[in-house]
Amino acid sequence: MRWGAVLVLFLFAALIPPLAGLNENLNPDASSRFQIFLATSALVLALWAISYNLMLGYTGMVSFAHAAYYGVGAYTVALIFKRYHLPILVGLAAAPFAAAAVGVVTGLVAQRAVRLYFSLLTLAISQLLFSLAFTWYDFTGGDNGISVTVPDQLSDYTTLYYFTAAVVGVCLLLMFLLVRSPFGAALLSIRENRQRAAAIGINVKVYELAIYTIASLFAGVAGGLFMLYQQQAYPEMLYWTANAQPVVVSLLGGTGTFLGPAVGAFIYVVLDNAVSKQFPYQFDIILGAIVLGVVLAVPGGISDAPTVFLRLRERFHRGEKAEAAPAESAGEAIRMFDVRKALATDAIQAEEVHPGQTLLQIEHLSRRFGGLRAVEDVSLEVKQGDRHAIIGPNGAGKSTLFNLITGQLKPTSGAVKFDGRDITGKPPHVIARTGIGRAFQITTIFPKLTVRQNLQFAMLAHAGYTVRPFGLASRIFSAEAQELAEAVGLGAWAELPAGQLSHGDQRAIEIAISLALGSKLVLLDEPTAGMSAYETDKAMELVRRLATERHLTLLFCEHDMSVVFSTARTVTVMHQGRVLTEGTPEQIRHDPDVQKVYLGELEQEELGA
Amino acid sequence: MTPGQVLLFAVGGLANAAYLFIVAAGLSLVFGALRVINMAHGSLYMIAAFVTVVIGNQLGAGLGFWGGMLVAVAVAGAIGGVVEVLVLRRVYGREHLVQLLGTYAVSLIIAGAVRIVFGANYRTIVSPIPGHIDLGGYSYASYSLFMIAAAIAIGGGVWAMLYRTNLGRNIRAAVADPDLLNATGVNVTRLYTTVFVIGAALAGLGGSIVAPSQAVGSSIDTDVLVLAFAISVIGGLGSIVGSAVGALIVGMVISFGLVIPATNPFALAFVFIIMTAVLIVRPRGLFGLPES
Repeated sequence: MRWGAVLVLFLFAALIPPLAGLNENLNPDASSRFQIFLATSALVLALWAISYNLMLGYTGMVSFAHAAYYGVGAYTVALIFKRYHLPILVGLAAAPFAAAAVGVVTGLVAQRAVRLYFSLLTLAISQLLFSLAFTWYDFTGGDNGISVTVPDQLSDYTTLYYFTAAVVGVCLLLMFLLVRSPFGAALLSIRENRQRAAAIGINVKVYELAIYTIASLFAGVAGGLFMLYQQQAYPEMLYWTANAQPVVVSLLGGTGTFLGPAVGAFIYVVLDNAVSKQFPYQFDIILGAIVLGVVLAVPGGISDAPTVFLRLRERFHRGEKAEAAPAESAGEAIRMFDVRKALATDAIQAEEVHPGQTLLQIEHLSRRFGGLRAVEDVSLEVKQGDRHAIIGPNGAGKSTLFNLITGQLKPTSGAVKFDGRDITGKPPHVIARTGIGRAFQITTIFPKLTVRQNLQFAMLAHAGYTVRPFGLASRIFSAEAQELAEAVGLGAWAELPAGQLSHGDQRAIEIAISLALGSKLVLLDEPTAGMSAYETDKAMELVRRLATERHLTLLFCEHDMSVVFSTARTVTVMHQGRVLTEGTPEQIRHDPDVQKVYLGELEQEELGA
Repeated sequence: MTPGQVLLFAVGGLANAAYLFIVAAGLSLVFGALRVINMAHGSLYMIAAFVTVVIGNQLGAGLGFWGGMLVAVAVAGAIGGVVEVLVLRRVYGREHLVQLLGTYAVSLIIAGAVRIVFGANYRTIVSPIPGHIDLGGYSYASYSLFMIAAAIAIGGGVWAMLYRTNLGRNIRAAVADPDLLNATGVNVTRLYTTVFVIGAALAGLGGSIVAPSQAVGSSIDTDVLVLAFAISVIGGLGSIVGSAVGALIVGMVISFGLVIPATNPFALAFVFIIMTAVLIVRPRGLFGLPES
């Protein structure tokens, strides 16, 4: 965020009443009172839209119930003032908590479903709350709503404007701090990649519920302020189509920027006022055209909007980019040096065998999918410091076994013990926290975050800092993440979006994330799949070097036999979901059963190819 | 409540279920094949209702309605085709949010256009099948019985189309694996357009059939859309059988909920309570397909 822009916005907001007065003097048709009223409504809309964007822009959740929480805020103020005769500010203070209370309960219900069905469930909840407000005459006034005469202190429109501006300003500041905090970093990681977020130890559902509740809290504030300047609360505020307003406003201003929706709110109010006066129906068409334009113009998705803006910004900064280029080639040289060094260390280490204690123990593990026995009665021990390979033809159950270990799947029977703890059937984020890191078969990183952020966020999650809604996430572990990026040979690329790196380098990021999590055991699911021979060599040198330097235990499955025999110290052969045999690479190479079942099939494949 | 009353309200519920099923079946068919929730589905329904009323009244009472219906279904299908080619083709395979917003934008544009073309006033058309059938002291509108028969016929037609024709076989294949279907030489792009046009025509048919039994206004698009959502979610998106079961549940709940004094104000709320309960127990509805 540009502080200059914030200052301009702040001054603009502060100067609106005098400007409106000036305008009235110059142009008798323009009532300053009406203009200040419009400005107040724009402020409230901005707060509402930014609170919506906390979900939409930062976690990618689409809720149809946000208007309902806005409505709950408005009704709370009206009811407390009118039915219980308490000061209106008491109502305003209670509004966010009422909205958040409704938000957390309904959010918990909505979370039973995911993605599209989550959206539809929020729709049902929204309609439920609407029909409650619409039909409960005795309490909510039914379709008439509740009208309130705001007391003297706040009845002056200029005072009300400054009061609204102050409340909105405080709320925006709180939300901004939240977005930049380690908690905000966790949200960003969930939006980027849910699977990876869970794999760095983030409890996705809990964080999503938290932001859903926080968003409804601020929607409650916005609704309460709406009630103050409109002096009424009515059931249509809760109707599901009312959610269009914050969505359109967010799109107008840009979902990827924090203050974007605030700018969008001012455009919306001005546009609405200008068009609706003469052409009440054309406004819908204009809004539709704007939404359609944004949807069709942004290639990847709504959350890609920021990258489009960034790309535009890059065009202006191209000169600096060109100067940065030599650093990249220098980075390449450093990496080549790393590889040679790694080769050297590996030559020393390869001879050693760590007897070690048992780190991972799998006991009679089974998993069935209907009639298919994907993993059947597998028992396996991985010793501390070992490099343990699991091989077997396609469909042997290797990936299923990995998914059982890291919690993506729950076993039908059997047990998994890690470091003396029973982790059978635990969810992925819990297992990640016990010290098992994983590189997935399909590379799973945060593609739009920088390389450094990928590692930094993993460190934040590992340290348990992501529960903190305060502090600047970018300042914590920044140096450590940079150091780790350099250790895996990605130092020169640390500030590039991870998704722009080559496949091999993205693999390295994934392994580095495991290191950032302080994992004792790292699972690599086909670490060299899809790599060229050169990339394969480089990647496995890196893996061996890191395993040696950092005393990691490796468990990996791989189809490339040269990779298996050059890296593994123990090899387990799986076939049709069962363990066929286990031994040193030398033993496996000469085992007639293995040759029959596995290598035989491999030869057939090669003949066929 | 006497047995006669129960029958009366049950027929009312069936009549509700009839037009809701036709609309929801179109929504569900489109979701099953294209994996897109069409937020503009209610808008196509609304356009068809207005066209039926205007053309029907122009052509004259009685027979004019059928002419209006023909034009209305054709108009809804044609607009559906244009929307598919211009908008949906660009959002297939993208995140649901993009698809929701894209079709939502279309619904805003149609809503604005309908208000400009047809105005904000409610319009009506007389029933093409007037009269009542008296049974056990209560009279049943003939048109309600026609709606029920029409829904059964349309349901049978959709089933026959899906399970007895080449087009239906391709649609079912597209639901399972569009890429493989494409590889076997079927033009999936054209198939998607066809499916969307059929879905739009069903929305149109629903709007047309409902026109003589309800006043047609410029807010019926969102009213029917939210009910069609509820039906699809209860029955399960992508399942025609699910749409029928969902429509029956919603139609009956509305009919009985409205006539029982104690529940009258909360009739619509019950629909959403059921919707929420179903989603909590069965997150993909009673007969739902998994999300792609």
